[in-house]
Amino acid sequence: MAEPTVVGVRRSERELDRRAAARDLWPGGTLDVWQGRGAPMPDVVWWPESAEEVAAVLGEATRLGVDIIPYGAGSGVCGGARGRVGAWSLDTKRLRRIGPLDADRWQVEVDAGVNGQHLEDWLQARGFTLGHSPSSIWCSTVGGWGAARSAGQFSSRYGVFEDMVLSVEAVAPGRGRFRVGEGGDAPAAWLPLLLGSEGTLAVLTRFTLRVWPLPETRWLRGYRFQSVGDAIGAMRSLMQAELWPSVVRLYDPVDTRVGGRTRPERQAAPDAGWWRRWLARVDALPAVRRRTLALPLALPGLLNDLADRLSTGCLLVVGWEGRPEVVTAASEAGMQLLAAAGGDDLGAGPGERWFHARHHVSYKLMPIFERGGFADTMEVATTWSSLEALYRAVREAVAPTALVMAHMSHVYPEGGSIYFSFAGRGDREVYDRTWERALEAVVRSGGTVTHHHGVGTLKAEAVSREVGPAVAGWTALKQVLDPGGRMNPGRLYVPGGPPPGPEALPSPLALEDGLLRVDGVADLAARQAAATAAGAELMWPWTVLDGEPTARSPWQTTAVEVAAQVDGVDARVGRGPRSASGPDLRRWLLAQPGARVTVAVTRVAGRWMGRGRPDRPWATAQALLRRDLRPAVLFVEDGWLYVGFRGPAAEAMGALAARWVGGGLEAVPYAPRSMPAGDLVEVPIDHPAVVAVTPHQALARRSEA
Amino acid sequence: MARKLPVQVDTCTLCPRLCRAVCPVATGTGREASVPSAMAAVVREWQHGRATDALTWEAVTLCTDCGACAAHCHLGRPLPDALRWVRQQLQPPTPPTAPSPLAPMEGDGRWVAVECDERSWAGALADRLGEPVARWRTTDRLGAGALAWMPTVHLERVRALVGARRAVVADGGVAEVLDAAQVPYTWLVDVVPGLRQGDGSCRAGGTRPLACCGAAGPLAEVHPDDARRVGEAWLERSESWQVVDGRCRDHLRACGGTTVTDVIDRWLRGET
Repeated sequence: MAEPTVVGVRRSERELDRRAAARDLWPGGTLDVWQGRGAPMPDVVWWPESAEEVAAVLGEATRLGVDIIPYGAGSGVCGGARGRVGAWSLDTKRLRRIGPLDADRWQVEVDAGVNGQHLEDWLQARGFTLGHSPSSIWCSTVGGWGAARSAGQFSSRYGVFEDMVLSVEAVAPGRGRFRVGEGGDAPAAWLPLLLGSEGTLAVLTRFTLRVWPLPETRWLRGYRFQSVGDAIGAMRSLMQAELWPSVVRLYDPVDTRVGGRTRPERQAAPDAGWWRRWLARVDALPAVRRRTLALPLALPGLLNDLADRLSTGCLLVVGWEGRPEVVTAASEAGMQLLAAAGGDDLGAGPGERWFHARHHVSYKLMPIFERGGFADTMEVATTWSSLEALYRAVREAVAPTALVMAHMSHVYPEGGSIYFSFAGRGDREVYDRTWERALEAVVRSGGTVTHHHGVGTLKAEAVSREVGPAVAGWTALKQVLDPGGRMNPGRLYVPGGPPPGPEALPSPLALEDGLLRVDGVADLAARQAAATAAGAELMWPWTVLDGEPTARSPWQTTAVEVAAQVDGVDARVGRGPRSASGPDLRRWLLAQPGARVTVAVTRVAGRWMGRGRPDRPWATAQALLRRDLRPAVLFVEDGWLYVGFRGPAAEAMGALAARWVGGGLEAVPYAPRSMPAGDLVEVPIDHPAVVAVTPHQALARRSEA
Repeated sequence: MARKLPVQVDTCTLCPRLCRAVCPVATGTGREASVPSAMAAVVREWQHGRATDALTWEAVTLCTDCGACAAHCHLGRPLPDALRWVRQQLQPPTPPTAPSPLAPMEGDGRWVAVECDERSWAGALADRLGEPVARWRTTDRLGAGALAWMPTVHLERVRALVGARRAVVADGGVAEVLDAAQVPYTWLVDVVPGLRQGDGSCRAGGTRPLACCGAAGPLAEVHPDDARRVGEAWLERSESWQVVDGRCRDHLRACGGTTVTDVIDRWLRGET
């Protein structure tokens, strides 16, 4: 083993620490450890306490030719942080500063090694929330969220993790320390490439994140639908109605049944359930316990068939949170919409039960391993028109080897993700076969193989196939930041694999997806014209902005799918409304000759627009956003503030806006308005050059700021 | 042949380390090996003969026995019980010895100051209260030896000695034992005006179920560097004065903290 000479940086070569860094939470690795096969241990574990110390370790690794595996809390489920013999594990958990919090600009700075729950507790004690609530929040770090592009349970309101990031500080072997995003000394275009890079480009050390005040109210409700298809239709209507719910979660019939999600709370009955107590006693016998599930899980076909027969109907949990007046207006419109779509209102109970147990899913997997099985999850995504087909394709592919159920927990105007849960016999060969079949089904269906779990080693081949030649966008930055190839090799992207199939061609467009395909070079006028010709309106009337996503809000998506040829080979990225298949390569692919891009359009009924003359129009505009209004049109012209809404709640939202603007708003005909193009930078809210606002920032063209 | 454990650690071994956020050692050190489920994984390997005694001892002594992981666990797994049992197996406990004879009470009064460290504050307390305070000095800190004998001899002797007086303690360890012996006591912090009860206390006993990092205990003996880091992290999170026992006070002072004991000392000296 090469002997490191970095003085002053804490490290350990002890077996105890190397063992602990050997595995992350990839269930395949868990199965190995459980069955006594162990996990590959790194040679050294480092705990740098500053970016300087990170740089020192990376420098030493470069000098000695040692690979680096960045390690946060090891909560990744795809093997991205697993150990490797001969490599060094760089544990970020001693990068642990939280703050300062900027309560005026709604921003916080935080080190990469901070535990997610610790950050949220710290923010809540100060009246704020990050709004990021992955089920791993107790056992993951902020750096891990960035490295693998995490998504939380309230993503419909607060966005996925990259939507929260204003800037990142990082250290790379080829660049040293740098900052990208707001106030950065590195190109802004690096930001979407660093997020999701899973330690293959740099060690992320510190973040500036958007935060939000704690919501004043939270509204949750359950609806029952007869079929998954019906429920998908209802979710689509909800997400395209511009009502901006915080939670939309659909459980398929088996998940609804197994989870008992629509049943009322079980009453305590001390004299009942003798057979349950008997079963528990038998189950506690070690010899029985190790095999309880091995037999039934060896017959997955029968098990799936039985589960299907016993399961009818599925549960949709929907919720809003924030300003009470806005929550009331949006939820009333949402309830009408869901009732019209055939949903049976189950009241607040199912939603509140979900909320209180929202992080408990992680406790449900261990008992399956203990009883002779394995359990794993796969989160994929696609557009609305392909969602049910993807759901059925994966179920069909997995059913021969594992019991399968699903829920859909992240939805967008253009589509959503499906989160499959598998349980099979605790056999590594069965485990691997299940995954092969599942991933193949996703690739063939044209969806993305990962929505928010990232890639690691588990999905590296499938993602490499998904990204295809667009990987060149990552490779170009890799040569700058990690020319020696020492950063987490073998994860994320792997060479080889079959050539791209028809799934790499631009996907067929369906009216229900609310997408329109235009040339990558089409300017805003051309996009508007294409939308008008299609009888629709651009959902977010702007081209891709420099500095994105810092210059937009979480609910605004400018581009979904980008397709182009790279060196004569077809590539298509953005295979769902959101993907965590490594860094976001869409911007890079969009710059390739002949690129085509899908942009969101809306045909939703209902429009309202008004104008007023408050004293500080841009400050008033921002105040409306900060009160949770989500106008489709918001601009200032000649001292007039214009506010426009779309969808079934447009009038109700307009009435609220009129109440909250000093002097009120007078109704005017609705007219969409393009966002200013160009390089935008943050300026004070009363700066004369302000051209746009988000809840967090006032923006002006750089040339005028 | 697998070793039999009185409490199984299988569930914790498989757990996605959901209790890491509440573990003071994992939080303070950032050391993955100190996450409770990582310790459980080593114990399971030891159980099946795949980890040495030395490695396992190194792992299980990273636990401070604070119980936070078990309190957080939604499956109710009592991992600290398992780790404690393993520690007992790997380091046989010293046989209990009879406690040293109780020192006689000095002076008399409605209050008795129980002094278990080098400080003497009974006189200052008497001055502050404006009435006589008895002093009882105990050198064994009513510790493990006392507990072993408590059910029989020692308990009766302590009760008889304190009698109808109200015991005043500054030491969490003493308070815990007095409470277990059903001898009423009052914390010194409760009779010192201007001090706030903090949100944490070391070994504060059943009547004050407060968070305790436990780092001043076995962790400090086996892993002193980690104990210091835990103490530093504990102080970072503490936003109010803490009641601490002598051992904890020394530990936190070594970590750069000012403890409530320092404030009490100043009060007793009439400086506040």
